Amino acid sequence: MAFFKDAAELYECIGGFFKEAAKDPDMGPKIRESKLIITFEYSAPDSRITVDAKNPAAPGDFFTIITGPTDLTPDVRMSMSADIAHRFWFGKVNLVQALAKGEMKAQGPIPSILKLLPAIKPAYELYPEYLKKIGKADKLI
Amino acid sequence: MLPEYFDFYCRTRIVAGPGLAAGFGNELGRLGGSRAFIVTDRVVRDLGLLDPVVRSLAVGGLDVVGTFDDIPPNSGFGVVMQGVEACRTAGGDILIAIGGGSVLDTAKGMNIVLCLGGDIADYQGFGLINEPLRPLVAVPTTAGTGSEVTAYAVIRDDATRSKQSLVSPYLAADLAVLDPELTLGLPPALTASTGMDALTHAVEAYLSTNSKPISDGLALHACRIIARWLPAAVSSGDDLEARYQMLTASCVAGMAFSAAMVGCVHALAHALGGLFHVPHGLANALLLAGGMEYNLPAVEERLADLAAAFGVGPTGERSRDAAAAIRFVRELVARVGLPSCLREAGVPEDGLEEAAETACIDAAIYTNPREATPEELLEVLRKAF
Repeated sequence: MAFFKDAAELYECIGGFFKEAAKDPDMGPKIRESKLIITFEYSAPDSRITVDAKNPAAPGDFFTIITGPTDLTPDVRMSMSADIAHRFWFGKVNLVQALAKGEMKAQGPIPSILKLLPAIKPAYELYPEYLKKIGKADKLI
Repeated sequence: MLPEYFDFYCRTRIVAGPGLAAGFGNELGRLGGSRAFIVTDRVVRDLGLLDPVVRSLAVGGLDVVGTFDDIPPNSGFGVVMQGVEACRTAGGDILIAIGGGSVLDTAKGMNIVLCLGGDIADYQGFGLINEPLRPLVAVPTTAGTGSEVTAYAVIRDDATRSKQSLVSPYLAADLAVLDPELTLGLPPALTASTGMDALTHAVEAYLSTNSKPISDGLALHACRIIARWLPAAVSSGDDLEARYQMLTASCVAGMAFSAAMVGCVHALAHALGGLFHVPHGLANALLLAGGMEYNLPAVEERLADLAAAFGVGPTGERSRDAAAAIRFVRELVARVGLPSCLREAGVPEDGLEEAAETACIDAAIYTNPREATPEELLEVLRKAF
């Protein structure tokens, strides 16, 4: 069974977590520094989250999170199922294997993507905590 | 340890033998296409290496409709797009790439755009090319890159001065023609640096975090061949057997690293190539021993295996074997007459820091057995300087 029953639930969990990360003093500045617009395209359920670290963000945020469609043109586009995305934020996806298996696709300059990996490492611990905080402990894996 | 998963793929038919460049016409019928477009460089053309290939194309019933030979070492996105334009104008429907790694990778890049449209820069990433492209025949004239069988094209992005990897199983050639006679004229320095490139592919594939049983076997076999035959290919350029062995080893190492990927040595070599135009094989040669030494704490056992493949082990003591493998590579670089340090290769000392930073975000670094920091890579560069 899929982790998320619909796009709204995915936006609440992953989208909400991204919005927390936008305020995080560890991850936020490094992602801001990338000056990238990254779109995550998810399937099952079909959904889309865009991280905008290029345009000015709201006060207190290092970058902007947009759930759903947007007119922004991404520098990097990552495509995967929502389940893979959920497992990824637990640190349970081997990126090389996922790419080899076709479970993930990445479009855009690979160095820009790789540069972000160390920056998002703290997320693997913070995502489960966030899910517990919003009452979604049933999503823990 | 039981692996969770591994995969291996090689779509290329490989034919090999002395004189085969003039005799592979009967292989062409099954590929499709009738209008051959040749991708090469001026050196290959001036050496007359196209002539036997053109004879094969005629036997295979193909018309040569055009040639693109304006390809420099460390080819870039702009060159790829020029080649695309030339091929479109000529109406080519099968690509024949004859040359070293830069030529072969340019042809791969052209093939993407010719089939899928757009600009070559649009295809940076993973999993973006999921359908067969038009037929590609690769005829390597150096024994080093193994590009004829790999799923990669490494091409310079002129705008960012960085090497970019394009990745898809469909990038590998449909047919690879390994004719050692085409490599007989390679000068010793180029034979040495391209041979060390092949060795680096094999070693890094074996040490990679993405290594797998099939690539392991290929990598170790390539190490055995190169350790035995590279010195002869360098010192006796007309030794056809040595040339044959090296061309085979390059191809075998190509299959290994296409599946397993590489590591910090390649990441650093890509950075030095992108920033300072250091030839890829030479950069690999100068950094390989240092990269192995850097990775020693994570892969001592695997380094010890390499000692056996190189013929300098086993002694029964793992740490001694690992050290012997590193020493062997260092001595091999000297034995084949390559420069001994990056300074001699024209790398500016004040550029090392930028190279280390660039290497840290190169795709190759992701499968290095140690998670490298810019500071650690800078140290590897300083030791090689």
